[in-house]
Amino acid sequence: MSIISVRDVSKDYLLGKTQVHALRGVTLTVERGEFLSVAGPSGSGKTTLLNLIGCVDTPTTGVVEVAGRDTSRLTERALTDLRLHQIGFIFQSFNLVQVLSVFQNVEFPLLLQGGLTRAERAVRVQGLLEAVGIREYGRHRPSELSGGQRQRVAVARALVTRPALVLADEPTANLDSQTGQNIIDLMREMNRKDGTTFVFSTHDPKVMAHANAIVRIADGVVAGREPVGAMA
Amino acid sequence: MLLVDLQVAARNLTRHTRRNLFLGAALAAVTGLMVLLGALTAGIEGSMMESATTLLTGDVNVGGFFKITSGSAAPLVSGYPRVLAVTRATVPDLDYYTIRGRGWAKAVSDSASMDLVLGGVDIAHEPAVRRVLQPVAGTLDELARPNTMLLFQGQAERLKVGVGDVVTLSAPTERGVNNTVDVRIAVVVKNVGIMSAFSAFIQADTLRGLYSLSPDATGAIHLFLKDREQANLVAARLREELQRQGWRVMEPDPQPYYMKLFQTVPSEDWTGQKLDITTWEDELGQFKQFIWGVKVFTGLLVFVLMVVIVIGILNTLAIAIRERTREIGTLRAIGMQRRKVLWLFMLETLLLGLGGCAFGALAASALAAGLNAAAIGVPEAVQLFLSQEHLTFKLGFGAAATDVLLLTLVTVAASLAPALRAARLKPITAMHHIG
Repeated sequence: MSIISVRDVSKDYLLGKTQVHALRGVTLTVERGEFLSVAGPSGSGKTTLLNLIGCVDTPTTGVVEVAGRDTSRLTERALTDLRLHQIGFIFQSFNLVQVLSVFQNVEFPLLLQGGLTRAERAVRVQGLLEAVGIREYGRHRPSELSGGQRQRVAVARALVTRPALVLADEPTANLDSQTGQNIIDLMREMNRKDGTTFVFSTHDPKVMAHANAIVRIADGVVAGREPVGAMA
Repeated sequence: MLLVDLQVAARNLTRHTRRNLFLGAALAAVTGLMVLLGALTAGIEGSMMESATTLLTGDVNVGGFFKITSGSAAPLVSGYPRVLAVTRATVPDLDYYTIRGRGWAKAVSDSASMDLVLGGVDIAHEPAVRRVLQPVAGTLDELARPNTMLLFQGQAERLKVGVGDVVTLSAPTERGVNNTVDVRIAVVVKNVGIMSAFSAFIQADTLRGLYSLSPDATGAIHLFLKDREQANLVAARLREELQRQGWRVMEPDPQPYYMKLFQTVPSEDWTGQKLDITTWEDELGQFKQFIWGVKVFTGLLVFVLMVVIVIGILNTLAIAIRERTREIGTLRAIGMQRRKVLWLFMLETLLLGLGGCAFGALAASALAAGLNAAAIGVPEAVQLFLSQEHLTFKLGFGAAATDVLLLTLVTVAASLAPALRAARLKPITAMHHIG
């Protein structure tokens, strides 16, 4: 069963007095356990597509289903719950809470979820910090970390609730190539180990090369979907 | 979770130290001012009420007027021992009582004269008077002797007399003639505010002599109850019982007796004796109006300052929300519900409000205690209104805590609108660029 089903979705924005057609009739299906790259130039509609899949925006027309639920039929509260329990986000600019420590940043979604004891949360957070290689930085604040370390924290935060789906919007854009490579490797490892579905946008061919498949977007339409082996 | 929420709120406050310190200081200043003004008002009210209820009125007063003709009136209770017996039987919750003569006379010294409202006192049976009046010359015990008088410091200065000097009292009687008596100044006491301007005390029998009254006549019986809050109930009970036993009793009229003496009673068409049962609130109406005026003034001042604070909070939070749009969006994107965002912002304001207000209240309390200890003199003209010689602040934990809570609540309430605005932010703002 697919985890994402996007059917004939369009999204229009009003930019001043000009209407921008960010997406025009996009259809896309993502199966569980995929490691999918959404590729395209700036302004092609990658982030808009991720926003719609991540339930932080709603389509103008069409249907977006995530984990079997039609997002257009959900209340704001239910959408928030869906994001909390099913989706993990990795942002281009890391978007960590500056006033919390690394440990607390990673722990925060678990606190929002509730249900785990303090000890259980600590085990899960420490395990993830270990997995992303920043265990010794647990007490540090984000401002005390390098870009690569911050993105590792963001990865750990996205995975801590064990979501079915992780969305990463240009996760390597603000990192040097080696650090970016490490982050992609990390995500790939999580994908292999836990079967977590990853959908990430990028326009970096080196990054795309790690995906199972690439969905190319141009001018708001899906130009094609191809397995990585099929890349030129 | 609450601990993390508190940590987030506290750390966000410390992130913008200058801005929050400024707002916290403003909150502290307003709270401090509220606490100081409240303590000053309480101090004025306390000293005014204590001296007034001791010197001018009991908790309940059994007074009355005697009219020989319908156009005249004297503040008298004739045959008071019988009235007292009924009163004591009707008021079992009586703490103690005093018998007070009431009169009005012109005091004439060698070099000056002034009008005075006279109280005839039996100093041996006036325990509370000793607590309120502080002699600066002579002793209160001397007032037990016949033809003696107690003056307040300001009066003695105005009449240019001291202890041992003699002044002449000239009083109009109900028969339309002026009686006079020479009295020796037995004691001069410190001023106690506005009462010191117009009231003085003479020995009870001397007052009776001045007005040619029989020994069983007096001005009023002042009743001091174990619980002052019961005054209205006791007054109503007394009215009913005295009426039942045959006395004519006046309808309740919340005015001090001297207002009735000069304004309403002489124009009423009756003669003979009527009793008038009043409470301390009736007799001190003007003092209460003054206190009310002070409270209204301070209330308005605080209200204006609160408006300023509210505007400050609205501005500060609006800036904070603008600065933290990305953070709020991120939190919403990772699954934080709107109500949680609302809670976080309000918690931040709650911490700021509670911290600022508590600091303000503590600082004001320390300042008030320091000013009390310094015993700063009040100018004579102001003493009249404040009933205080030294600036006195009456600090109460309850009042200060109420001020802190009230201002904190106002602060939190002011944060509601911007916090709601923050809560309504769409999570898409965290992924704001269109790629």
